[in-house]
Amino acid sequence: MTIKHETSPFTLEIIKNGLIVASEEMFYAWGRTAKSPVIYEVLDYAVGIIDASGEKLVTQAPGIPGFTGVLDFAAKEVVDMWGEDVQPGDVFVSNVPYDSGTHLNDVTLIMPIHHGEKRIGFAVAKGHWSEVGGMHFGSWTSDSTEIYQEGIQYPCIKLYEEGKPNRSIIEIIKYNSRMPDFVLGDMYAQVASMRVAERRMKRLVDKYGLETILTSMDKLLEDGENYAKLKMKEIPKGTFTAEDWIDDDGITDDPIPVKVEVKITDEEFLVDFTGSGKQAAGSINSAYPSTVSGVRETYMAMIDPYTHPNGGFFAPLNIIVPKGTVFNPQRPAPTSTFWEGMSHAADIVWKALAPHAPEKLSAGHFLSIEATILGGIDDRTMTPFAIVEPQPGGWGAGIDMDGESALVACGDGETYIASSEVYERRTPIIVERYALNTEDETGHGRYRGGFGAVRNYRLLCSEASFTVTAGRSKYPPWGVEGGMKGTPNYAVIYHQGEEPKRVMKIAAHKVRKGDMVSLVTGGGGGWGDPLKRDPDLVVNDVLNEYITAEVARNTYGVEIDPDTMTLNLIKTRKLRNSKSS
Amino acid sequence: MVSSYRVGIDIGGAFTDLVAYDSATKDLRWVKVESTPLELSEGVVDCINRSNVTQSEVEQIIHGQTVVINTIIERKGVNVGLITTSGHRDVLEIQRANRRDMYNFKYRKPESIVPRHLRLEIDERTMADGTILKELNGVQVEEASRTLVEKGVDAICVSFMNSYVNPLNERKAGDILRNSVDVPVVLSHEVTREWREYERFSTATLNAYVLPILENYLNRLQNSVTDDPRKCMAMTSDGGMVSFDFARKYPIYTVESGPVAGVMGAISVAEAIGEKDIIALDGGSTTTKASLIEGLNPEVTTEYYVERDRFRPGYPIMVPVVRTVEIGNGGTSIAWIDEVGRIRVGPRAAGAYPGPVCYGKGGDKPTLTDAYVVTGMLNPEYLLAGELPIHKDLATKAIEGIASELGTGLMEAAEGIIKLANENAAYAIDLVSVQRGYDPRDFTLIAYGGSGPMFAPFISEELEIGKIVVPAIPPGVFSAWGMLNTDVRHSSIQTNITRLDAPNILKILNKSYGDLEEEVAKMFQSEGNQKTTVMERYADIRYYGQEHTVKVTIPSGKLTEKDVKTILEAFHDTHEREYEFRLPDDAVEIVNFHVVGLQRVQKLELTEIVNDSTPGEPQDRTVYINGGYEAIPVYERPELPAGFDLNGPAILEDPTATIIVLHEQKASVDRFGNVVIWSVRK
Repeated sequence: MTIKHETSPFTLEIIKNGLIVASEEMFYAWGRTAKSPVIYEVLDYAVGIIDASGEKLVTQAPGIPGFTGVLDFAAKEVVDMWGEDVQPGDVFVSNVPYDSGTHLNDVTLIMPIHHGEKRIGFAVAKGHWSEVGGMHFGSWTSDSTEIYQEGIQYPCIKLYEEGKPNRSIIEIIKYNSRMPDFVLGDMYAQVASMRVAERRMKRLVDKYGLETILTSMDKLLEDGENYAKLKMKEIPKGTFTAEDWIDDDGITDDPIPVKVEVKITDEEFLVDFTGSGKQAAGSINSAYPSTVSGVRETYMAMIDPYTHPNGGFFAPLNIIVPKGTVFNPQRPAPTSTFWEGMSHAADIVWKALAPHAPEKLSAGHFLSIEATILGGIDDRTMTPFAIVEPQPGGWGAGIDMDGESALVACGDGETYIASSEVYERRTPIIVERYALNTEDETGHGRYRGGFGAVRNYRLLCSEASFTVTAGRSKYPPWGVEGGMKGTPNYAVIYHQGEEPKRVMKIAAHKVRKGDMVSLVTGGGGGWGDPLKRDPDLVVNDVLNEYITAEVARNTYGVEIDPDTMTLNLIKTRKLRNSKSS
Repeated sequence: MVSSYRVGIDIGGAFTDLVAYDSATKDLRWVKVESTPLELSEGVVDCINRSNVTQSEVEQIIHGQTVVINTIIERKGVNVGLITTSGHRDVLEIQRANRRDMYNFKYRKPESIVPRHLRLEIDERTMADGTILKELNGVQVEEASRTLVEKGVDAICVSFMNSYVNPLNERKAGDILRNSVDVPVVLSHEVTREWREYERFSTATLNAYVLPILENYLNRLQNSVTDDPRKCMAMTSDGGMVSFDFARKYPIYTVESGPVAGVMGAISVAEAIGEKDIIALDGGSTTTKASLIEGLNPEVTTEYYVERDRFRPGYPIMVPVVRTVEIGNGGTSIAWIDEVGRIRVGPRAAGAYPGPVCYGKGGDKPTLTDAYVVTGMLNPEYLLAGELPIHKDLATKAIEGIASELGTGLMEAAEGIIKLANENAAYAIDLVSVQRGYDPRDFTLIAYGGSGPMFAPFISEELEIGKIVVPAIPPGVFSAWGMLNTDVRHSSIQTNITRLDAPNILKILNKSYGDLEEEVAKMFQSEGNQKTTVMERYADIRYYGQEHTVKVTIPSGKLTEKDVKTILEAFHDTHEREYEFRLPDDAVEIVNFHVVGLQRVQKLELTEIVNDSTPGEPQDRTVYINGGYEAIPVYERPELPAGFDLNGPAILEDPTATIIVLHEQKASVDRFGNVVIWSVRK
C-alpha cells in the first residue's frame, strides 16, 4: 500500500520538467540515431508520453507542426484494441490513417511503460518511414486512388512481445519496403528512443515515488487545461465562419469546397467542418487525426505559440467532422498527400478567426507544401540522385506588419530548404535562379503579403523525372479587410525548343539535358486597403525593387519622382483622392 | 629585466578584467574595473594603469572583447553593399526559409543585414566542380561599385556562388574594387571556404558589417597601450590568439572571444592537475554555460549562430568557435509564479542592476541568490569580503511573497527555488554530454564563474559526476587568466567532397593537407612570426548520402594506404559514439579538410600554495538543507592549506565565491589551492 501525502509544489515542478525533458531526450535520441535524412534532417517525426489511460497527451516534442497531437490517437487505439493484453515490454506498430494515422509512411510505435505490474503511461514515437511499399518508389504519390496503392498497413499489432521482437512482423516489414535497411535502422532507433523515455520515467519513480509521479502527471494536465482556459479569456467569443476551395484532387479537375464554423465560449473552442466536400478521389484527403493536427496548429497560434502543449491544454478544443468528407475520409480513400488537405483544415479555421484576432493571426499564406521530386540516374557518373523538397512561399500580412517572404508553409516548421551549392555538388543540376518572386507581385494592402520564391533547376545529365503537386494555384491566399488576394503557386517546365508549359500537378514527367524546371510560389494575402499604405513604405518597396513604380501608382496611388526616388506628396494625394472616390 | 609581463585583458558588459604575469619573477597581478561602454578602450587603459605594469614591461597583450558581438546584437554595424552572382540576389533574405517559431503565425525572420537595394547582381558563374561557366563581367563590377559608393556604403562584400571551390572570379572582382574604392572590401572565400551559400554570404557580410568598427577600436587601443604593434594579440572564438592585424581584417573570428577564454582557463587547470576529460561549467549572474572537453582539446565547430534560441534562428557565422551551450539560469535568475500558479525560476534575471533583493540596490524580485541567503547557504551578512553588505531581511520578505502565494513555509520555498535552479543548470550539462552520446560520469566538472561553484555540488549529485574542481583563480578574473594560456592559432577549412575510396585518394589527401598547411604557415609569416608551428589536421567526414558529418583527427606527414585505413576506423568509431550506429559497408566521404596551426606559448603555471598555516576553527552556521535546519561549519577558503580534507556538509567562503559541500561529499584542497570535491555516495 502506498501512503498518499501532499507533494511540495517544487517537487511537482521538478517532475513536470523531468517529464518534458524525457520527451525532448526521446526526440533527440531518435533524431541522433536514425538512418534516414527524412528523420534527422527534415525532422518529419514527433514523440511524446501519454498517460496510463492512453487518452491524454502528457508531453510532446514535435519536429514539425503537422504532428501536433496525433500521438494520443495511437495510444488510445492500443487500449481499445488490446485491453488487458498490454504487457510490459510490448511495442505496438500502427499506421492506418483513418483511426489513428496520417498516411502509410508515418508509422507510429507505442510502448507501455510499467512500474512493476502497474502501467504508468505510454511512450509514443511517430515518424516518416522512407519506404513502405506501394505503387511508386517512396510510397507517397499524387496518383493513387485507393489506400492499397500506397503501401502496407500495420493495424496496431505487436512488434515486440514482452521485450522480444516478433520476427514474423519484422520479416513482413522488411519484405514490404524498397529500402529495408533504412526502414529497419530507423525502426530500431525509434524503439531505442522510447526506451530512453522509459528509463527517465523509471528514474523519476525511483526518486520521488509512484504516487508523486502520477499526481504530477495529473497536475501537468490540469495546469495545461487551466492555462488554456485562462488564455481563452483573452480571445474573442462568438461564432465565426469561413468558406474556401481546394483546387482539385489531382485525379479530377473539380474543386472541393471547405467550410467551417468556429464557436468560441469561455469553456470551449468548437470547430465544425460540416458542409465541407466529400472525400476526394485523389490522395489529398486528410484523415481525422491529421485534421485534428491541422486544427491544433491554429489553436496553438491562437492560445499560445510558446507553451508546452499537452492533453489538458487541448481539452477545450472539440472538433466535429462528418465521416466521408475530405477532412474525415473512410476506407479505401487514398491519403498519401494528406498534407494538402490538412493544411486547408488549419487554414480555414485561421481564415474564420483572422479578422477577429489580428494580434495573433496574419492573412492567408501560400499554404501548399508544393512537394517536388526531381530525380533519376546521373548517366555521367551512373549514380542515382533525387531532390525531394517542399518549396518556401509568401506569408500573409498582419494588421501591423508586412508578411514574411519565402518561408516554409504552416505544415512545416524547423524545415531547412537545401542550399543551392549543395544541390549543384551532389546532383546534375545548376540552380540558375533562387530569388524572391516579385514578378507575380503579392497580396497588396495597407500591409502587403510577403513574396513567394522562384527556383530554377537546369538539368545537366541526359534525363530525369519531375513530379510536383502545387495547391492554391486556382484559389490564391485570402486577404483581410480589403487587403488583396495573394498570388498562385505553380511550376513551369521549359523543354528546349518548346513553349514553356505551366503546370499545377504533374507526376513522373520526363525532362532532358538542357531543360529547365521552375518552381514558383505565390505571395501572401494583404491586410487593409492598399490606398491606405504609408507612402514611405511604398517608396521603400520601389527603391528595393519589391514593386515597380507602376504598381506604386496604379495599386497604391503613390507617385514617385524617378530622378530622386522620393515621394511626390502632392501628386500622391491627388491620385489617392481620385482613386478612393 | 624588461618587457616581461604577459597581460590578459577581458572586456565584459559590466567589468573589464586584467591579469598580468611575469614568468621570470612569477609575479601575478589582477585588476577589475567597471567597463566604460562609451569608449571601451579607456577602461582598458585604466586597467593597465592600475596594474602598475608599465609600457616597457609589457611583453605581450592578449585581448578578448565583446565589441564584435555587441555591434551585431545592437545592429550598430556599418552600411554594407553586396555584389553577387546574377540570379542569387536574395540569398540573404530567403535564408533557409525555416520557421523555428513554428506556431507563431506572424513570424518574421531575422532581417537581412544588407537591404535589397544594396544587393546587386553581376554576370559571372562558377560551377560546383570549379570550372568557370561565365567569365566575370568586370564592367558590371565597376558599375555596381559606383552605385554602391553613391548610395553611401562603408564596406563592400563580394559573395559569388561556388567561390568556395574556385575563388577566381571573386578575386578578380576584388582586384577591381580594391583599385577603385576607398572602403574595405571583403571577399567571401577569404572569410570562409566552406560550402552553403547562405551561411557563407552571412558570415562574409557580417565580417564587413563589423570590420570598420573593430578596426577603429583596435587602433585606438593599440596606440594607447604600446608603440609596438607586434605585442598586441586578439583572442579568437576557437580558443587561440591572432595578431591585431589579422583581427582587423577578419573581426568575425573574434565573435565569441570572451566566453571562450574561460574554457581555455578550465583546460589549463585540468592540465595542471592531470585531468584530461572535463566539463567546463561557467555559472554567471544571468546564464550558465557548459562545454565538454575530451583529451584537453576543446571541440571546435563552425556551426555557430548569433542570436539563436528556441524560437529564433539567428544569423549563421561559419567560423571556428568552441562548442558551448548557454541556458538562461544564473545567480540572479528571478523566481516567479506563472499564470496557473506554478513556481518557475528564470530565464529572466535581475543581472548586476538592480541585482538580487538582498543587495539592497532596489531589486524587488526574489532571485536565486536571495534564496541562498535565506537558507543560510550564502553568508547572510556580507559578500565580496565585506564590500557588499547583504540585507537578509529584504531577501526574506521577497521569498515570503513566493511562499505565501504557494502556501508553503519560507524555508521550503527558498530551498525549492534552489533545487529548481540546480535542475536547470544540470540541463545545460545534459545538453553537452548525454544528448551528444557522452556519459557525464566519465568527466570531471570544472566549475567557475560567480555561481558555478555554488551549482556544481548539487548538479554532480543529480548527474552522478564523481569529481568537481573549483579553481584557485578567482572566478571574476578567470577568463582574463585563461587568455594567458592560449596559443597563437590559425586555421583553414576547405570544403572539397572526396570519397575515401577514390582511386587517387592519397594524392588528394596529401595535396589538400599540404596546401592548407602552407596557407596556414603563411598566416603566421604575415604576422612576422618565426617560431615553430605545430600543425594539426582534421577532416569532417560522413557516410555517402548523409548530411551530418563528424570531426576526425588525421595523422600528420605524408599519408599512406595504412593511414587511410586508420582514418576510416576512427570515423566509424566516432560516428558510432555520436549516432549509435556504424555502416561498415557504406562509402565514406570527406566534406571538409581542416588544418589548425599552433604556436605554443609558455603556459602560466598554477603556483603552489605555501603549506604552513593552520586554518582557524570553522564557525558553525545554521543552514536550512534537505528539509531541516542543521549547523554547518563555515571555512574561510583562503586560509585552508594544501592537503586539507573535510567531510560534507560544509561551506567554504572566499571573497568572490561560495562553495557548498553536501552530505555524502568530501572536499580537499590540492597543492595549488584548488578545491576538489568527491562524491562518497555508495
